Amino acid sequence: MAETMIILLAGIFLPLFPMSMVFNAVLDNVKQPWLKVILFITWPLCGLSIVFYSGAAISEWVVILALITSTMYALRMLSLREVNQWSGFLATSLWSLLWLTIWQQNTSEMLLYGYALGMTVPLVLLLMLSAGLEQRFGAAYTGLYGGLARTIPRFSGILVTVIVAAIATPLFPSFFIMFDMVVETVAVMPLAAIVLLLIWLLWSWAGARLIQGLIVGRASNTKIADIGVLTIGFYSIVLLALAIAGIYMSRVIL
Amino acid sequence: MEQLIIVVAVLPLISALLIQLFSKRLGRGSARLSVVMTTLSFLLSAVLITWSLTGHEPQALSIGNSSTIILFDPLGALLAAIILGISLIVHLYSVRYMAEEAAYGQFFVLLDLMTAALLFMVLAGDLITLVISWYLVGVLLYFLLGQDTRSQTAYRFAFWTVITYRIGDLPLILAAALLYNAYDTWSLTFIFNEIMANPHAHQILGFSLTQVVAGLIALAAFARSAQFLLHTWLPYTMDGPTPVSALMHAGIVNAGGFLINRFAPVFVNSGDVLNWVFVVGLITAIFGSLLMLTQNDIKKALGYSTMGQMGFMIMECGIGAFSLAIYHMFAHGVFKGTMFLSAGSVINSARQDDGIPKDELYTFAVEKQPNRTRLPWLLMAAITLVVPLVILVFAHLLIAEDYFQKQGAVILLFFGWVTGAQLIFATYRMRSQNIWRMVGLSVVSLVIVVLGYVFISHAFDLFLYPDETFREQLYTAASIDVLRFDVLVVITTLIIVAGWFVTYYAEQNGHRRRKQSKRLWLNFYALISREFYIGDIYTRLTRTLLALSGRLNVWLRWL
Repeated sequence: MAETMIILLAGIFLPLFPMSMVFNAVLDNVKQPWLKVILFITWPLCGLSIVFYSGAAISEWVVILALITSTMYALRMLSLREVNQWSGFLATSLWSLLWLTIWQQNTSEMLLYGYALGMTVPLVLLLMLSAGLEQRFGAAYTGLYGGLARTIPRFSGILVTVIVAAIATPLFPSFFIMFDMVVETVAVMPLAAIVLLLIWLLWSWAGARLIQGLIVGRASNTKIADIGVLTIGFYSIVLLALAIAGIYMSRVIL
Repeated sequence: MEQLIIVVAVLPLISALLIQLFSKRLGRGSARLSVVMTTLSFLLSAVLITWSLTGHEPQALSIGNSSTIILFDPLGALLAAIILGISLIVHLYSVRYMAEEAAYGQFFVLLDLMTAALLFMVLAGDLITLVISWYLVGVLLYFLLGQDTRSQTAYRFAFWTVITYRIGDLPLILAAALLYNAYDTWSLTFIFNEIMANPHAHQILGFSLTQVVAGLIALAAFARSAQFLLHTWLPYTMDGPTPVSALMHAGIVNAGGFLINRFAPVFVNSGDVLNWVFVVGLITAIFGSLLMLTQNDIKKALGYSTMGQMGFMIMECGIGAFSLAIYHMFAHGVFKGTMFLSAGSVINSARQDDGIPKDELYTFAVEKQPNRTRLPWLLMAAITLVVPLVILVFAHLLIAEDYFQKQGAVILLFFGWVTGAQLIFATYRMRSQNIWRMVGLSVVSLVIVVLGYVFISHAFDLFLYPDETFREQLYTAASIDVLRFDVLVVITTLIIVAGWFVTYYAEQNGHRRRKQSKRLWLNFYALISREFYIGDIYTRLTRTLLALSGRLNVWLRWL
């Protein structure tokens, strides 16, 4: 009973439906961008810490619920248009898959924290860019203004790369994490491996919809300030570091 | 030589990086830099293929203590040279064609990255490199097709492409995971050696692992090479820049054939998977060709033509003619690339002269030209059936006397015969003032094509698969029971001959067509013009899924 309670508590931080709704409700009510960033970074780490310190044994039903949660949020991402909400749902879908790795017990605790960070950093960047969109247009919403590639090309370039990194594309860490999950899962639960691949496909679909809703279209008539060289430098360095971390991760985990 | 192999693969990457970093300073010079780097890479690949042709052993290269990253074998060497050749042509064409585009430098960055991804794909020596490059090709193609960020249509169809490619990535990833779990290595060479030594050592869910992996690899190849039901993206991705269409149709779409060739040792031991590959290829070839004939848009017709060709390429793999598929890939790449790059000038000249032949009465009465004639039907039918057969049999006997012992060879001869007969039949229907000249030219071109095809494909066979036993194994793996094979050949022959008779009858009695058959014909035409409703079905499915997603969000209050 106590173990179940711990898992349910951890299920708030490493999302398990319906506890997963807590994170998205909190995110919805946080307005300051820096608070959102802190929320994103600490949330999965709290979940992992609860599981590790309690030493709770993970049953198969937790893994199944985690897969259902991840699939459901990936599916729900398809009809989202608000960037913050999109980031929240992707985070929910990504973090819930960590249960699978915990259950398999093949990955060290330190590496699991690394997994959580590797999945989260692109989402943090996306939140920061979303704040930039809100500052410029009043909302970070797809289909509302569009044409960002022509209006603010440098911003769009970074935005597209960040979205691509978030949806587990090579050479970013989440790609290798997903690849590793499939490799580890296919031997013990082949069906779960297929579900993982379908979730991955849904992320790509949702990512493409987000990109299209933001960057495609004619340039805005009003002059909008693009991001400066320093900011580009910052994002580029973080993305490069992520790619290097991804390649390094591939050597460690695969 | 090892360093040279790495330089060939890395040069396009360096070019992309330099353009990205210094695009402002380089300006239009970005294109020049990109062209120079691609030329250099192409020349080096030419040196490497010469080296490979002189009989040197395949090279396996690793970085640090990782498993093999690059495998430089005849297949990789040949395809690297082909990719760089096509990429160079596309680069040169793009220098002026893309000059007016806002993101000129960015286009060359993407083009260089695509070239690099393709090179790593064909030279991959381990499963991770293969999966990464395979995946990245889809992502890069999405952005290349969406080069014009103002066009919603371009992005809509670029999305179709990327989602189909992603569907194709999944079986490859699953196959890689299964192979790693079974053999505890990512190295392709090691895995293939193990499979050849003991093909059925591993099982998954009660099936032989090699069979399951072969099925998954085939699925990945189908998605990439636009096989039937996974083809809808191909004819519609015409809103992208013409050089991208050329690169896609001449190179990227052929990746399915490459993948099946790369995993040849798996397919040799995969039971009847190759038979299914043949069936899918055949269906695709038929549907692609059928849809091509009904298009009124030149680029879309080219798209469906590619689909038909891809079907034929996959079909060749399905009969065990793996190296022939590679030759087909090369020949089709050059041919289709040329067609795409010249599509603009064809459209331009069509605006000046529509090329529609004038009415016979007009040419006779106004232009005072004699009526065009036809040869007697029976004589022409005899030429149609006999000449291609004689050419094909003669050409193949020059290569191997036991050619007719192989089922795959018989199927290829059969297709060659039907195609040749169709060519002469079409010539007969064209009506000409000098019919003998026209028939003569058709026969001569058929001889050149067949001899070229037979000799070059034989050379490809010797180069790509020098081990004769393995070549035999490939044909054997694709074979079926002799009785079933003979029955199928007879049925197919009857269908084709019946088709010719129907065509002849329709030609003779076209004006007397019955009402019922007219309605049937119209229904058939409607079906084809809606492209068998496959696109419509996918659109409906997509909408349903999106509606479900939206409804779930409403029910769960967007949390």
